[in-house]
Amino acid sequence: MSEVLEHKPLLTHEVGSLDKPGWRVKAYAGKPLEDKDLEEARIWGDRLQVPEYERLIDLLRHAPFTKEQKAELQRWSSLYAVRLEESAGLDVVYDGEQQRTEMYDWAVSHSNGFERRGSVRAFDNKYYSKEAVVGPISLRSPFHNAEFSYLVSVAEAELKIPVTGAYTIADWSFDERNRTPENLLQPAAERARQRHAARRDFVLEVARNMIRPNLEALIALGARWIQVDEPGASTEADELDLFVDSFNASVEGLNAMFSTHLCFSDYNLFFPAIERMEQCRQYAVGFANYDSRELGTSDAARPGYQVIKKFRDLPYKPALGLGVLDIHSDFIESPELVRDRVLYAVKVFGDPKRIHVTPDCGLRTRSWKVAYEKLRNMTAGVRLARQELGLPTGD
Amino acid sequence: MAATRGIDRGRVGSDAVGRAFAGDLAAFVRVQKDAGMDFFSDGLLRWQDIFRPLTEALGVKPHTLVRWFDTNTFFREPELSGRLTMPADPDAVAPDASVPRPRVTTLPSPYMFSRAAHTDQDRNGLMLALAEQVLRPAIDAAVAAGAELIHLEDPWLGYSGIAGEDWAPLTDALQILHRDLKATLAFHVYFGDAGPHIDQLLKLPVDAIGVDLVQTDLKALGSGWDKGLVAGVINGRSSILESPKSLVDVARHLADTVRPRNLYLSSNCELGYLPTPVAEQKVQRLGETARSVKQLVSV
Repeated sequence: MSEVLEHKPLLTHEVGSLDKPGWRVKAYAGKPLEDKDLEEARIWGDRLQVPEYERLIDLLRHAPFTKEQKAELQRWSSLYAVRLEESAGLDVVYDGEQQRTEMYDWAVSHSNGFERRGSVRAFDNKYYSKEAVVGPISLRSPFHNAEFSYLVSVAEAELKIPVTGAYTIADWSFDERNRTPENLLQPAAERARQRHAARRDFVLEVARNMIRPNLEALIALGARWIQVDEPGASTEADELDLFVDSFNASVEGLNAMFSTHLCFSDYNLFFPAIERMEQCRQYAVGFANYDSRELGTSDAARPGYQVIKKFRDLPYKPALGLGVLDIHSDFIESPELVRDRVLYAVKVFGDPKRIHVTPDCGLRTRSWKVAYEKLRNMTAGVRLARQELGLPTGD
Repeated sequence: MAATRGIDRGRVGSDAVGRAFAGDLAAFVRVQKDAGMDFFSDGLLRWQDIFRPLTEALGVKPHTLVRWFDTNTFFREPELSGRLTMPADPDAVAPDASVPRPRVTTLPSPYMFSRAAHTDQDRNGLMLALAEQVLRPAIDAAVAAGAELIHLEDPWLGYSGIAGEDWAPLTDALQILHRDLKATLAFHVYFGDAGPHIDQLLKLPVDAIGVDLVQTDLKALGSGWDKGLVAGVINGRSSILESPKSLVDVARHLADTVRPRNLYLSSNCELGYLPTPVAEQKVQRLGETARSVKQLVSV
């Protein structure tokens, strides 16, 4: 059985990604840095009170960068992101995935069996890269160890490591292990049966041979809370059982606290399948995207949160990471709006210890300015909710 | 991709984005020419989703981000509460002048549009209003700009189905689009098995029915169609390249058994789920297949 960490009621944490600062992107890509990039590093270093940030400014003045210097710049970016989250008042932090290329690409590029195919649109002007699995899948090398080891050395708050889940990795990949295209002259039912069988093999192979060994490596380094990110989990409504099986195959018997992040889905689809996901101690779920921006704690005032009752009723009583920030909009949620979303969830759950407070998803599509304001208002809103509930505010 | 990302982050100007789109469009036209396509598309390269230029022309704000069926793609719900207004710019969907003729214009079907929208209206009433006030003006503008094939996409019907009582209003809506139209109107069902709907589909007032043959059994299509068949034979969601020889066999089978009035070979869905290099190879395979079939079968 996975570990259950003791946390205070209305714990706050981020979900995953943050935008990468311009200086980090340009420096890593070997592009010329402008004065505004250095100014950005200076302003945020000062605002977040990043220790010795002048050393970063100095380093940025010495392009071109060696491989070691680029790695150092990535660590600076991680440090800035951790400080941003700590400064915003979050209880649990990570580094906004500053050292990763992207949640999918980073994972598959450290694994065997995949070949790059290109990028496709996710939404608006956002794209993601896709690879094809062409052979046996295995972990080439643990791919979060370096960043985790570094963050342990600099973070003051508790760490939670986001790791892309097996179902999402498989769902976002093409399966080319059997390169034979479907014969459309065959009965469609037989073709569908073959597709489903291949899909199950594929997803479980990713879970067992790629994700699980990476989790084991993190736990060996001291990781205690690992968040399995599964934005693709509800993509195929008839594969929720497969998603659950892949989660269980990834974490079964491992000694850490495991949670799952779900977003931008019809969450009703997850029930009853996730009743079998007892190893999941917390679900971090995006709701604000679907909610009203009006204040209030009634059912009518909180249309985006009606489904949370189903999470409350799960037999193994996981916590709910309540998404209260819309990450697709620059709209800054007020502390009062956050407060009311939290109070509504506490009213539904009847236990503030089962409610954690989070953004809907990673904030990487927002600027740092917007992300910071959103997160600060989130923690301010939680303080208001604590006052309302008579809980210690920590002030 | 880099240009649009850059403009979102304030790092490049609109000129750079315009040049990038023009370059991509020229490349896509070249691929279609090389493949020998019979109809040319602009690839909807500037469209952020299938509704966006239409909703922008209506002056309505894109609403919540919603998953596009069982894909890892998302669309913004068109916010269509209240009365529809006439689109300010029905030309918004007309292909760029650089797209060769004859052209195909792709639009959302009125059924899908009405179901995917965020609205407080009766959805069948909305479907008729969308047909009359949004889609027909857009189709007329596209035809005036050289479109000879109007391709209505309807994954909603394929994926979620349709209630029995909704066929009549759908027929009325399509009648609005088809009346006196100087182009071929195709209604393409995908992301699902069209088999259970074939009888009703063949009664719709359109010139051709599109079918996702990855999801649909060939036997379910029946025979002796009095309409064209848009045969979705290229799998737009798999990176595995089809063999033109096997596709020729499928096309011959369709020509011999279904005997549609016209046979159009196509992908089963948009190719936007594939990276560009893969999509381009699939277009090439489609062209190879069509050339072979034309040599073998009189359709």
